[in-house]
Amino acid sequence: MAIMGTFVFEEDFLAAAENLKSSGFDNISLLSPLPLEEAQEVLGLGKSPVRRFSLAGAMIGGAAGFAMCVATALVFILPTGGRAIIALPSYLVITYEMTILLGVLFTLLGFHIISGLPAWHDEPYTESAGIDRFVVVVEGTDGEQAARAEAIIRGAGAEEIQHVEEKS
Amino acid sequence: MFDQGQPSYADVNKDVLSSMLETGPRYWVLLGTTMSVAVICFFMPWVYQLFVGIGAAGMNRNAVWGTYISNFIFWIGLSHSGTLLSAVLHITNSQWRKSIYRSAEAMTLFSLMTAALFIMVHVGRVWFVHWTFPIPNPMGLWPNFRSPLMFDVMAITTYLTASSIFIYMGSVPDFAAVRDASTGLRRRLYTIFSFGWRGTAKEWHTLGWAYTFFAVFVIPLAVSVHSIVSWDFALSIVPGLHHTIFAPYFVCGAIYSGTAGIVTVMYCLRKFLGFEKYIGQVHLDNLGKLLIALSLIWSYINILELFSTWYGGTSFEIEALKFRLTGFYAPLYWEMILFCAFVPLLMLFKKFRLSWNKMLVISILINIGMLTERFIIVATSLPRKFLPNAFGFYFPSWVEISITIGSFAIFATLFLIFIKWVPAVSIYEVKETLKPLRRDA
Repeated sequence: MAIMGTFVFEEDFLAAAENLKSSGFDNISLLSPLPLEEAQEVLGLGKSPVRRFSLAGAMIGGAAGFAMCVATALVFILPTGGRAIIALPSYLVITYEMTILLGVLFTLLGFHIISGLPAWHDEPYTESAGIDRFVVVVEGTDGEQAARAEAIIRGAGAEEIQHVEEKS
Repeated sequence: MFDQGQPSYADVNKDVLSSMLETGPRYWVLLGTTMSVAVICFFMPWVYQLFVGIGAAGMNRNAVWGTYISNFIFWIGLSHSGTLLSAVLHITNSQWRKSIYRSAEAMTLFSLMTAALFIMVHVGRVWFVHWTFPIPNPMGLWPNFRSPLMFDVMAITTYLTASSIFIYMGSVPDFAAVRDASTGLRRRLYTIFSFGWRGTAKEWHTLGWAYTFFAVFVIPLAVSVHSIVSWDFALSIVPGLHHTIFAPYFVCGAIYSGTAGIVTVMYCLRKFLGFEKYIGQVHLDNLGKLLIALSLIWSYINILELFSTWYGGTSFEIEALKFRLTGFYAPLYWEMILFCAFVPLLMLFKKFRLSWNKMLVISILINIGMLTERFIIVATSLPRKFLPNAFGFYFPSWVEISITIGSFAIFATLFLIFIKWVPAVSIYEVKETLKPLRRDA
């Protein structure tokens, strides 16, 4: 079962999240209509691993771009006016563009892998979290733990508390 | 930042979503008109050209490039400010960016699409356009990556891909807001578009990082794209084109026309979608200041181009310059100088900078000047290479003029479709600029 507390005020929401975290609840989700750095800090979200995807994409892209230019020039040798077959200055431009192209595509891939999106299965959610409400969801709680979580959320000033059945 | 007082979070959702979900007859009339103009002025002449051949355009043996290429540069240029400005302002954490960036990025995307269409029109046999991509032909011959035209293909493909991803990823939380506010088929569609976004701290955190990296990638990319477009010209040895200043000249011109384009689009969003609450004087004032700076840089580069040609003293270059300043197209050159170097100086006065109507006129004049600039670059150089016995002349045919007019209708059509499918103002980023509701307030 999940407990979902809806808050009107950002400060109450953050206080509830902090209290839950310090009381040992680890399986919590914080839903908000806008990005909140404080909420991310409560959950201990530091530097995102997305940056590793960006770096890997950029490096692979640069290498692939340069390799493509060299390989295609060598597959069909086309001498023009005594110029170099492998023309480094020209190939740097293609290398540069491919660095960025794959960097962007890998960043996109990283976003999807790390955020877990797409996620079209049912998760505890209320539409007001996309408008003007802040929602704390404590997942995987039952019995006494659920009562404790509910007390913390209520104590922080939740406008509404819902018990949601989790779908496994 | 808000001229009419701070809206609440719920107001932001309501205002932005109503611009998408409520559609009056005026919208359909406008969309029908732009689509009709696009078909009649762009696609029908193009089909005609496909049947009779590329000779339907005014291009000839000397002038192998014409308005299709100059329009291509214009549209690529117009695309510049959207994504670039958005990325730079995101990195520098500018608050005033937040209500205007989505439409500016859309402008980038649609300008790029329009520009890509011009390449298809220009090549004549459009069914061979895939030869420009890195695919070997049946003889195993690959495209020549030493050619600036191949640089262009790679740069523009990358720019189109990166800009599409940039605008899409920034829109995901807003797609979720549309999903929540709609029913039926639209809800199902936006559930897919939003990837099942819930707005968890982890999702925001990952999006924030990814978005910053997109911005970091996009800034050098945007600079490289127009530099590369300039090398299509500057890497030739044609008098009037073979200048080292061309890359910064093109990049500056692109940002300049793009920023002017943003002012035009902002005016329309305010006027027709009722975004007065979100797009206010502060945006106009900042864009005006940016335009003045860009105008001065643009003017400086133009003076530099004249000076370096004169100082270089090469007879071919001097002849090309003389033709540009005093030849058949001289009135267009001086019109460009008037619209792009002198008219923008009016924005030094706050009275002009803070007036939407005046800024609209100035922004349109700047873009007329920039369209002319690209035409002059093409029309006064290639037809007059080196020796006078090889001189020719270029004047656009009715097909080219019609297709040029039609391209504006294509852009407008794409934009009109966009505003009904994507929130034109970023909902969540506008919320970031609002003061949070406090219990003690």
